[in-house]
Amino acid sequence: MTRTSVLATSALARPRRSRLAICALEAWYEFVKTLRLPAYTIPTLSFPAMFYVIFGLGLGVSRPVGETDAATYFVATYGTFGVMGAALFGFGVGVAIERGQGWLLLKRATPMPVTAYFFAKVVMTLLFGTAIVLMLSMLGVVAGGVRLSLGSWLALGSATVFGAMPSCALGLAIGYLAGPNSAVPLVNLIYLPVAFASGLWLPIQFLPTWLQEAAVILPPYHHSQLALAAIGADRGGPIWGHVLVLVGSTGVFLGAAYLAYLRDEGKTYG
Amino acid sequence: MNYRYIALTGVIGAALWIAGALAERGAFRDETATETSAASAVAPNVTAFVGVRVFDGARAIPGANVIVADGRIAAMGPDAEVPKGARRVDGAGRTLLPGLIDAHTHVFGDALERALQFGVTTELDMFTDHRFATAMRREQEAGDVPTRADLRSAGTLVTAPGGHGTEYGVSIPTITSPEQAQAFVDARLAEGSDYIKIVYDDGSVYGLQWPTIDRETLAAVVEAAHARDRLALVHMGSQRAARDAIEAGADGLVHVFADSAPEPELVELIAKRRAFVIPTLSVNQSVTGVASGATLPEDAHVAPYLTATEIENLKRAFPTHRGSKARAAHAFDAVRRLNAAGVAILAGTDAPNPGTAHGASVHRELELLVEAGLTPIQALAAATAVPARIFALADRGRIAPGLRADLLLVDSDPTSNIAATRAIVGIWKGGVEVTRQKPSRATTDGGRRRVDARGRVSDFDDGTTRARFGLGWSASTDQMMGGTSTAEMKVVRGGARGTAHALEVIGTVRDGAQFPWAGAIFFPGGRPMEGVNLSAFTELRFWARGDGGTYLVMVFAERFGMVPVEVPFEAGVDWREHVIPFSTFQGLDGRGVRGILFSARPGPDRFAFQIDDVQFR
Repeated sequence: MTRTSVLATSALARPRRSRLAICALEAWYEFVKTLRLPAYTIPTLSFPAMFYVIFGLGLGVSRPVGETDAATYFVATYGTFGVMGAALFGFGVGVAIERGQGWLLLKRATPMPVTAYFFAKVVMTLLFGTAIVLMLSMLGVVAGGVRLSLGSWLALGSATVFGAMPSCALGLAIGYLAGPNSAVPLVNLIYLPVAFASGLWLPIQFLPTWLQEAAVILPPYHHSQLALAAIGADRGGPIWGHVLVLVGSTGVFLGAAYLAYLRDEGKTYG
Repeated sequence: MNYRYIALTGVIGAALWIAGALAERGAFRDETATETSAASAVAPNVTAFVGVRVFDGARAIPGANVIVADGRIAAMGPDAEVPKGARRVDGAGRTLLPGLIDAHTHVFGDALERALQFGVTTELDMFTDHRFATAMRREQEAGDVPTRADLRSAGTLVTAPGGHGTEYGVSIPTITSPEQAQAFVDARLAEGSDYIKIVYDDGSVYGLQWPTIDRETLAAVVEAAHARDRLALVHMGSQRAARDAIEAGADGLVHVFADSAPEPELVELIAKRRAFVIPTLSVNQSVTGVASGATLPEDAHVAPYLTATEIENLKRAFPTHRGSKARAAHAFDAVRRLNAAGVAILAGTDAPNPGTAHGASVHRELELLVEAGLTPIQALAAATAVPARIFALADRGRIAPGLRADLLLVDSDPTSNIAATRAIVGIWKGGVEVTRQKPSRATTDGGRRRVDARGRVSDFDDGTTRARFGLGWSASTDQMMGGTSTAEMKVVRGGARGTAHALEVIGTVRDGAQFPWAGAIFFPGGRPMEGVNLSAFTELRFWARGDGGTYLVMVFAERFGMVPVEVPFEAGVDWREHVIPFSTFQGLDGRGVRGILFSARPGPDRFAFQIDDVQFR
């Protein structure tokens, strides 16, 4: 076979149309793979639900948090908590492990565009995020008597799912920086304290004042405020402020992730 | 990729991140700053309103500085010096007014908090539970209360047995003869009344019939109030009653007569006696079946700060009765002539009557006063300096050095366009800036929740106090109105007809509150007291048993206003079903039902009763 014919038949010369198909296929496999990874699926789905049942429903659904009842309030905060976890673990631990296994190396050697890999992870995070929000919402409606207008439900759902952008980007940076064994503790070390300080476990009003003031620098705080704004239980800060923080911190984390990626590429291929 | 792009992304991202955090911190800081000053009552720092148009209670002064220190106005004028380190508030294009005074209100619940949200820093109450007024007064005197308006109150009003003021379901002391006048007035003053309000109204103006005190008793009460150096204020509706009141020496009228075109001699008499008038045009309009406040929820400056209940009430008018002589046009005409004759006019809303809301309605009343011929400056004075002078509130009502820093900052110029009072930029009470809150109304769609087609409310057999529609059951007592009655509600085993569970209510009703009650209430709507159409049904059915006492079913409905209609029932040892046709409740047609309260009556002992299988049929 001549060199030309190899090029002509290989995916390197693929028509443009199939890039989408590759992305979709990669997303599907990512999804199936994740679904079969109980170490990811079970904690990601059950922790927010468990916390919601304990704090949102267990402490009394009609107990007020500000002007909202606990059952409604905690759908927003534990939804944020869950989606944030799905993003951090999906990206951070996922990328780190796949790097460690040499799986990424293998993928880089295939003609698959590298974007498909990230696209698949983003889609997977969105799917899991949506599942978490749906699960908490159903728990809230069935067991907590939560009633919202359709508009509020949609706003709550989209704020909770799409507010996870910075967490995806941060996860990516961690995934390229951390080793396969250190990724889980590192993510937990960031995830749990930041979630607490952002008011995702206990309502932000219940935290000490200095912590409440410090929380405004944390992207998950703004993520949860966006979700709370959908049910009218936010602290009244401007929406554009939340969006700025989420977009800005995503940019910073993506920049960090890219640096980490270059460093990794240098180690592996340089 | 070039490192330069990464650096650029990082820097722009960080800038956005910090900007967003600062925006949030700013909003959050405002919130906590007010909280801390409210909590610790620390003397607020110096605030300077710079280059602002000032309405000082009598006239407009353009381009002045107002300096506030320690809750008082320290200096005012075009040349007043702005101290270093003062918090500067830009006044360009804005007007600073004295905090507003609503000269006719009925205060209970959160009325004073709501009033302050709209720049009303003082409410003059014209009849409430004197215990509530005393409690408010005590807190007020103990230190500045920066979260609600200050209160002056008439306490219990003076009326005849069965007269206007007694229809709210509770016994208040009444008066029948002139000889009782001094003792009666002294008893009110002992309860803490700041002034005496007298009802002299037989209801005929509105097509109703009320017992009322006679002329001699009216005169005696006025004299008794004057003997103790207190103002005697008269509620009336007709020109004849107004004439009697003024001839008896009354200091002021707390409404304006609207039964016929105003007679020049009466206007002249009021002017000559230097009496004042609080027209309450807002209710003059509502009483003719026109909801005077209906435009407020449509005003973009006002609407975001109204609660759902307030919006509902603003859109309501009084029920009108056959034979009513009340005409809004007569009221407006009377105000026009009184003002032209130099009679002091005071802005009062009579909130929370139909068509009004505490706070918001003052802005509407000001507009109505201007429609009735007052200049915007006169209208503003009617809500600031004039009531302060007449009610001897020497520390407020004007912007002058030494006075309380109760201030309202608005956009543009209400001294030329009265509607500008609604464009509120900031409210200060005693120098402390008030945090305005937008009540959240977007959280539930419970109001659209469907009424159960078969009318079933609750059988309690799932072991909870949930209902098939509406908000379900809650314990309800007069504590929300300053009473001391108690009630506990729980689901217990052993329901009617051998079913699993029933609702048990135990408590004590102590006589003493204005309207003593304790029991369990079912709200059929998605919010407490939201009206729901139950006209598909014609009767209320429920099973009851108890300690053998007589209990009351009280129905709250839109057409009854805030006053429920009650029907008694016996709760004996054995379960018995009670069937009460809606028509028993003053001809209720099932529309606009706000709540069904099962209450005990006042008594020395604890009460206990159970209800089960509540349904509409």
